[in-house]
Amino acid sequence: MLLSCPGAVTSCSLSAMSRLPVGRTVAVASISLIVLAGCATPPEEDAAAESDFCAVMVTNSGGLEDRSFNQSSWAGLQEAEESLGLAAQVLVSTSETDLAPNVQSAVDTGCSYVLTVGYELAAGTAEQAELNPDVDFAIVDEIVEAPNVKPIVFHTAQAAYLAGYLAAGVSTSGIVATFGGGNQPPVTLFMDGFVDGVAKYNEVHGTAVVALGWDKVAQDGTFTGDFEDTAKGLATTQAFIDQGADVVLPVAGQVGEGAATAALEAGGVSIIWVDNDGYDTLPAEFRPIILTSVLKNTGDAVIASVGDSQSGAFTNDSYIGTLANEGVGLAPFHDLEASVSPELSAEIEALRASIVDGSVQVTSPSAPN
Amino acid sequence: MSTVTQHNHPDTPENAAGTADVIALERAEIRSWKAPVAFAIFTVIGILLFIVIGRDGISTFRLSTGSDVIQLPTIPFPARATGVVIVILLAAITAWSFTLSRAAKATPLWAIAVFGFLFVVGFLVWASAGSTLPVAGLLIGTLGISVPLIFGALGGVISERVGVVNVAIEGQLLAGAFVSAVVASITQMPLLGLLAAMVAGMLVSFVLAAFSIRYLVDQVIVGVVLNVLVTGLTGFLFSQVLSANPTLLNSPPRLERINIPVLSEIPVLGPVLFRQTIIVYVMYFTIAAVYIGLFHTRWGLRLRSVGEHPQAADTVGINVTGTRFWNVSLAGAIAGFGGAYLTLGAVGAFNKEMTAGAGFIALAAVIFGRWDPIRATLAALLFGFATNLQNVLSIIGSPVPSEFMLMLPYIVTIVAVAGLVGRVRGPAAAGKPYIKS
Repeated sequence: MLLSCPGAVTSCSLSAMSRLPVGRTVAVASISLIVLAGCATPPEEDAAAESDFCAVMVTNSGGLEDRSFNQSSWAGLQEAEESLGLAAQVLVSTSETDLAPNVQSAVDTGCSYVLTVGYELAAGTAEQAELNPDVDFAIVDEIVEAPNVKPIVFHTAQAAYLAGYLAAGVSTSGIVATFGGGNQPPVTLFMDGFVDGVAKYNEVHGTAVVALGWDKVAQDGTFTGDFEDTAKGLATTQAFIDQGADVVLPVAGQVGEGAATAALEAGGVSIIWVDNDGYDTLPAEFRPIILTSVLKNTGDAVIASVGDSQSGAFTNDSYIGTLANEGVGLAPFHDLEASVSPELSAEIEALRASIVDGSVQVTSPSAPN
Repeated sequence: MSTVTQHNHPDTPENAAGTADVIALERAEIRSWKAPVAFAIFTVIGILLFIVIGRDGISTFRLSTGSDVIQLPTIPFPARATGVVIVILLAAITAWSFTLSRAAKATPLWAIAVFGFLFVVGFLVWASAGSTLPVAGLLIGTLGISVPLIFGALGGVISERVGVVNVAIEGQLLAGAFVSAVVASITQMPLLGLLAAMVAGMLVSFVLAAFSIRYLVDQVIVGVVLNVLVTGLTGFLFSQVLSANPTLLNSPPRLERINIPVLSEIPVLGPVLFRQTIIVYVMYFTIAAVYIGLFHTRWGLRLRSVGEHPQAADTVGINVTGTRFWNVSLAGAIAGFGGAYLTLGAVGAFNKEMTAGAGFIALAAVIFGRWDPIRATLAALLFGFATNLQNVLSIIGSPVPSEFMLMLPYIVTIVAVAGLVGRVRGPAAAGKPYIKS
């Protein structure tokens, strides 16, 4: 079902200008009444959707191919379309000003399940949820408290903790690094877990591996400032490599591809990807340097929640993806399997079990609860 | 900066001195206090930063990269002592500048350069106290970030000099990045990708030129619309076409770095300037060519005359419309070529909106550089330096919050444009369509 761009001018077309950080838009951002290809059409969908139950998803400004939660949420909805026989549509937001109007448009489609993705959509979701108590809402990566909103959140710090432990164990220089796209809770949650994982390794092994790029106490660190500019990811990672880092965790969407390029050029440096398995989603040339990925299984959570809505079992209880329910996890080591010693691998497995049974607590100010 | 104008009658010094009657020379002196006041402000910032909230510890500057043949020793600076020395020097330059202004003399450019250099060194020493600052890495990253900005700025200079305001630099960069990635990926020939990038930038320019020259549409509006169009179009094609088959369409080979023999072994500068891809070497050539072309050839003279006074140019037989059209196209080709750096020269694959505003910074560099290719290049380098400085400092653990650091490049640009440049006069006919009467 192809959803035309609703109210083309207002909701879809404000487009790229306003996505850029304020400093860059110069004086031109105000000129925005241009109707444009910014309303990306959703992929063709011709499967016979027999059920009249339909679900609408609203992306944040990252768009559908963000190699992150929008992509995996949409993959989940598409899978539900097949397996549950419902009809799914998507509204792609291209800028901050699209968000609330798109949630409104999603409700106006008359579908009884609306999925919004990203913390930027929290306000719009809360507003529409109050106005439309009969519609089931779910929001990914943010907690909205309302009787008809199901938050789908992830304790990514738990998996990032394992990644930090792994990075510290694999590093030969004794220096590892992480950076983010922006100082936001869903980003820094990874970074909190990562540096704590490194600290844990130091505690267990009596080593002094340094984690650059994030200070958990100050809650501040290295950020590229956006999630688009791969050249900045490249420069930042080169700077980390200049400091001796040999494992880097970028938490910055496509900016991470710049990090992977820098690592590939430098040689002897590996990358930990986030959200999905970078070994599969990144260009094949980067495979030799992808140590692992911190996984966030958004798709499965989305399928479960839309299924509940369809069968009338919808609740507003938060879904929190953890290591225990496999909502988050660590990807296989793929090509770099050999660089992870069996002992280290076993330690990580044991650590995973301890986090699951609660004997090791992973804490973060950004953690969902 | 400061100028001294003499509204006197054409008296030569000899007869002024010779005849005692003619004494009342009318002298209008314009004392400019801009330089000394700016110096004073920065000196005070220096005192506060380097001394009052100064940091103890040694900051080590590492000048060589690991792969250099000639390894320079690292230079240790005791942070607080260096800060004191630098503040004294800054204060001395400031005082000297005040005396110059009092005497209605201009502060020479080299003094401003020395002041700026000292302040930056002082800031670096302060910010990296207790850690090692990789100077070569800092500069290599600076150039990397600046390359697309420089190409964009050169395109902007040519276009505006010929009388067409080029707000579409962002779109030209993005089109170049997109097309070069696709063409290089399909053919597996990066050089062909570079060529395609120029064609793509040129196509964007054709639209700009056609609408602004032939149909006399407001040039700024056309430029803005083009940016949005290219952003939307490449985003759409990326989502719908490239993502469907990334192996065929979006896996371009990256250009190899070419080490220039001998030159690449010069300490500090070698790794920065001469271990680069072909795009960067073409950039050196382009900067020189645009500079010489604009100011020392017949082509440049005609181009500038069309941008300054199209009617006069027309009168002497220069084809205004044609000159504008082809030079705006050339500008697009240059900017498009710069866009290829983002894909073929840096990351490889194309990503949505990967220019992330570089075109607008290039536009600022054009104005900051007073429509001069060399100055515009320096402006772009300044922005690149500030951006990469922010990267490096946040990594070595500077005491400045990251949100503030992210503003640094923009603050530097604003201060530079407002403070150093002040009132600038662009080409007189830029932005105005020429209607032959």
